Amino acid sequence: MGLKIGIDVGGTFTDFLVAWEDAEPEIFKVLSTSDDPSSAVISGLTEIAGKQEPPLSLQEFMGMVETIVHGTTVTTNATLTRNGAKSGLITTTGVRDALEMRRGIREEQYNNRYTNVVPLVPRYLRAGVRGRLRRDGSEVEPLNLEDVGKAIDLFRAEGVEAVSICFMNAYANAEHEHRAAELVREKLPDAYLTVSTDLLPSIRFYQRVSTTVLNSYIGPILNHYLKQLTARLGNNGFEGILLIMQSNGGVMTPETARRTAALTLLSGPAAGPGAGLIYAQAHEQDNCIVVDMGGTSFEAALVTGSPVLANEGTIDRHQIALPMLAIHTIGAGGGSIGWIDEGGLLRMGPQSAGAVPGPASYGHGGKLPTCTDANLVLAYLNPDFFAGGSMKLDVDAARAAIKEHIADPLGMDVESAAAGMYRVTCNNMAQGVREVTIKRGFDPREFPMIVAGGAGPVHSCMICEELQIPFQIVPRESSILCAVGMLMGDLKHDFVKTFVARLDKLDWPALHQLVLGMVAEGTAMLMGENIPQARQEFQVKLDCRYLKQYHEVSVAVDRQWIDAGDTEAVKAAFHAEHNRLYGYSLEDQEVGVELINVRLQAIGLTDKPKFRVQEFAGEDASKALKGERDMYIFSQQAFRPVAVYDGHKMRFGNRVSGPAMIEQVTTAIMVSDAFDCVVDKYGSFALYKKGHEDLVGSGLNGDQL
Amino acid sequence: MTKMSMNEIDPILLSVYARTFKSITDEMSMSVQKTARSPILCEAKDFVTGLYDAQGNMLEQTENLPILAFSLAPVCQYLIEYFGDDIFEGDVIFHNDVFSMGNQNNDVAVYKPIFHQGELVAWSAVKGHQADIGGNVAGGYNPRATEVWQEALRIPPVKVYEKGKLRKDVWDLIFANIRLEIVQHDMRAQMGACTVGERRLLELMEKYGRDSFEKHKLALFDATRKMMEAEIATIPEGSYSGEGYVYFDGHHEGTKFTIRVTVTIKDRHITFDYSDTDAQTDGFVNGTYTSSASAAILTFLQMVNPDIPHNQGMVEPIEMIIPEGTILNASYPKATTFGNHLCPPNADAIIRALAPVIPDRVTAGWNNLLASLTTGLDEEKGENYVDIGFMGLKGGSGAMNGTDGYDHIGMIDASGGILDQDYEMFEQQTPHLLKKHEYLTDSAGAGQWRGGLGVETEFIIGSEDTQVVIFGDGDFEPAFGLFGGKDSTLNEIKLTYPDGQVVVPKNKDLITGVPKGTVYHQYAGGGGGYGDPSKRDRAILVCEIRNGIISPEAARADYAFTDDDAEEVGS
Repeated sequence: MGLKIGIDVGGTFTDFLVAWEDAEPEIFKVLSTSDDPSSAVISGLTEIAGKQEPPLSLQEFMGMVETIVHGTTVTTNATLTRNGAKSGLITTTGVRDALEMRRGIREEQYNNRYTNVVPLVPRYLRAGVRGRLRRDGSEVEPLNLEDVGKAIDLFRAEGVEAVSICFMNAYANAEHEHRAAELVREKLPDAYLTVSTDLLPSIRFYQRVSTTVLNSYIGPILNHYLKQLTARLGNNGFEGILLIMQSNGGVMTPETARRTAALTLLSGPAAGPGAGLIYAQAHEQDNCIVVDMGGTSFEAALVTGSPVLANEGTIDRHQIALPMLAIHTIGAGGGSIGWIDEGGLLRMGPQSAGAVPGPASYGHGGKLPTCTDANLVLAYLNPDFFAGGSMKLDVDAARAAIKEHIADPLGMDVESAAAGMYRVTCNNMAQGVREVTIKRGFDPREFPMIVAGGAGPVHSCMICEELQIPFQIVPRESSILCAVGMLMGDLKHDFVKTFVARLDKLDWPALHQLVLGMVAEGTAMLMGENIPQARQEFQVKLDCRYLKQYHEVSVAVDRQWIDAGDTEAVKAAFHAEHNRLYGYSLEDQEVGVELINVRLQAIGLTDKPKFRVQEFAGEDASKALKGERDMYIFSQQAFRPVAVYDGHKMRFGNRVSGPAMIEQVTTAIMVSDAFDCVVDKYGSFALYKKGHEDLVGSGLNGDQL
Repeated sequence: MTKMSMNEIDPILLSVYARTFKSITDEMSMSVQKTARSPILCEAKDFVTGLYDAQGNMLEQTENLPILAFSLAPVCQYLIEYFGDDIFEGDVIFHNDVFSMGNQNNDVAVYKPIFHQGELVAWSAVKGHQADIGGNVAGGYNPRATEVWQEALRIPPVKVYEKGKLRKDVWDLIFANIRLEIVQHDMRAQMGACTVGERRLLELMEKYGRDSFEKHKLALFDATRKMMEAEIATIPEGSYSGEGYVYFDGHHEGTKFTIRVTVTIKDRHITFDYSDTDAQTDGFVNGTYTSSASAAILTFLQMVNPDIPHNQGMVEPIEMIIPEGTILNASYPKATTFGNHLCPPNADAIIRALAPVIPDRVTAGWNNLLASLTTGLDEEKGENYVDIGFMGLKGGSGAMNGTDGYDHIGMIDASGGILDQDYEMFEQQTPHLLKKHEYLTDSAGAGQWRGGLGVETEFIIGSEDTQVVIFGDGDFEPAFGLFGGKDSTLNEIKLTYPDGQVVVPKNKDLITGVPKGTVYHQYAGGGGGYGDPSKRDRAILVCEIRNGIISPEAARADYAFTDDDAEEVGS
């Protein structure tokens, strides 16, 4: 296996992980270039080439690269900033407003100033055409191609770049959609086209039309970006494979990404959970919680054997019904602003000071107290060693901001106010973790927490104390965790088909045929990506529900159950999952179970870099000791001297006892007095509740021990 | 309330409690939504989840449908008094009785007492609109009813579980009187959510201790009360009166009733006094105390800071005077199922009273509800169906100074909390074929800020011998405009039978024997406009004309839009 590079283009930084076959991975960060993100990619790669021993030209270096896996936020940003393609929609007459109505929801019920989202296709470009199918797919009225032609004429006149087609009940019969698509391809050959049943052949009209339109809206943007990127990489000597990170945690080829652009809406954060799993596995854990706290947001995700997939989500209040990792985002980051509400309660965020004007302590004009300012007052951040000393923090400015906006109004001293800000921030993040654990029927205490992001490890001990999580791992690469995860992704393609039937009356041979057809589709796709059959895997899930329920539970099933028509096995798996999720099942009530959708994930296994095991360096961490600093200790509600270590000097086996501070260039780890820390064989920092060394497990059982 | 000195209180832990209560009730809500059978619960979210302290004071609620919301705490207090010492760990109590603080017969609540170390410390509760509740008419809306027994099975407080054991006889007695089996499962879904709430609250109690919980709870009420009082104090002191109108009681055509409110602001408190409201009706067009109080509270909450936590402290500065025997508080044993739907005219009265005093915080009138409920046999599936036409009934909200009304949001008592059926799910769950569901052109009341748009709905009825129940209003009086803004359009429902006969139902009506192939047609009106329409931004108007939601004719007539305007915007 040759050289692999993971590249995560974020809002502020573009992160690189360079994975050599026989050397430790290297981490790089360059500033992102928002108008043409590919230029930061190239400048970063140039910098990396120049840092090799001996220095290489970009051409020489790129010639060595076998695989690049790339996560991008271009589609996310295009959606959030409303810079997508000019789009048109062809749909069944009478239902063209479904896209804008969003089923009539107003998310903030008591807020009369809260307005609807502006739809991605304006009403005058949403064309209703005649032609109608019933719920079983039979035709009530033939498709009116003249109406379709009129819509196309309108789109041409208006300069529409992207077209969506979505008809009522097309999930049961795609013929009308395909005939309309033919005409669009013929008459508007340059337009980006999405056909709803190609992307999402499942029931629920609003979800399908919303997802289809999103795909078209961002398709041309992604297309353009990928063209630029592949050309730039190619011109600079890259002959390897480029793969794109997708929202389901897998990767795909640029060709696939161009057709299904909506799969890249979580392209950046989706790599985190998979990366977290690798670090958990070093401790023989197949499950973990992955948290990532950056400047403005906090992301939490759950991994149970593999990252947890949700069948739908939203972006900027637009629904998207494609499988995506269940990643919960809240507005809590280093830049989150503290404030006092009208009732005198302290709140943190979701408003963020961002990079500009930034926290008060940055001295860039920010006057409001942020989470970072509180950390500084509590001495969790070293004003002279922020970002490795490249930026000096102004403690007095932080104190002044906290005094004016928090401490004085609450009638407390600045230190107590800062402690409160820290605690409320941690509580908010703990609630975020609850969203992905308790709300899905999982007990967070049973999972190790993998901590990522620049601001994550400063807060993780208190989050863990709040949730009673006894074990956490801070990877050495924690500040660029997603770039790591990109190299760990397999090719993953999701398929869904609606198949409505009661389990006890189900036509199993027909279902078997349907699954075979889906497998064939997946095989063809993976073959097209040069994955041999031996490296292909298929996983089937059935969306089931009790008769007359409205929401389904996705149940993983063994394909043999379908082949054999094993109703009982499917039922048992469904009852168990329903019970786990919602606290009860109706197993003994003789209530029927019905199937709604069949889901298949086709997986093409890729080669993954292996982390090198460090040599055991003994328990003594004194070589890494930098000194001592007074920091706020929550259990004593006072400042106490705390030992400060240089994380870069800590090696496998080194152990420190909390309270302790471990500083690295891109992050600081606050080990609270409830935790101890040991470096595991991959160099990660394993924090365990005092007295629970056993949790660290085999992470320490290198050959050297 | 006990006077708490702030130094016994950890202000930070206070925030933690507030946030955690909210996350618990949200989690309970999610649990009901994902497990319930009836689309009224899982698609339209016609339910509320909540936590209450040992005395029945509200700790927090998730109010998917606010009109139910302010009945849960009063009922909880009633249960505590009713059962006295007879409350045990593992009990589960049902309640719907409108003459003991229930708001509507169909809204059945589950209460679960929460015990910590052997002591009653709190309650979790879920109240939801059941698909059937017995009585004369499937689904519960019986426009012909004159007394409660023709409407529903009354459930005064009753234990269905005692000390963790199912009282099978009681359970069977209840469900022997309810038509649909799914109601049993939906009540189980509500019980499951109460268990979720119980588990999470006990975790909190384990962690911080009972003492901390009690102290901080009181401090939270106190902080919230201060927030509410501060909001009220921004309204000039005085008494302000307004009226709203109810058309047709279901029995006597041409009848009209007036809701009269006097809102008094004094000493940081607000009083809603309905003493001059008209007397109760002979039919089911009557409110209950808690449905009418909920209506007043939810309307007022839209005029204050939406971030105020929902707990006992929020409601403390609000006083209600709703005399028994009025149309808003019917006396025993009157029929009351329509009571929740007296919220729109009640809100009209409050808005009209306060508009002159706080012109920038009120909206113009909202579209009133006109709803239908169809039942029949889906022959292809061999199953009966019940469908409330949520998608058809949702009109627009009123505009306010600086903000247009919200399109297709629905009646003010839900405020966008209930959702349309998904079209394809609608065609799966009923034999009907949807022909049209679109914004209704020119339905928004004109104004510098226009009202929200209404919708037009058309479907072909797919069952023979279909029963259609109509309940609502808004077909006599449109949503009103404010400060120069114009009124909107009226609600209307009509049925065109296969033989061409057109039936326009009364706004409270029960029509049986509707044949397959009948076209159901409904217009839900828009919201009222705010301010002089001629001041509306011309560029926005050009967009709206282009998008076909305002016709060129209406633009000229209502907005004084000229060809020059169009050109100016174009250039």
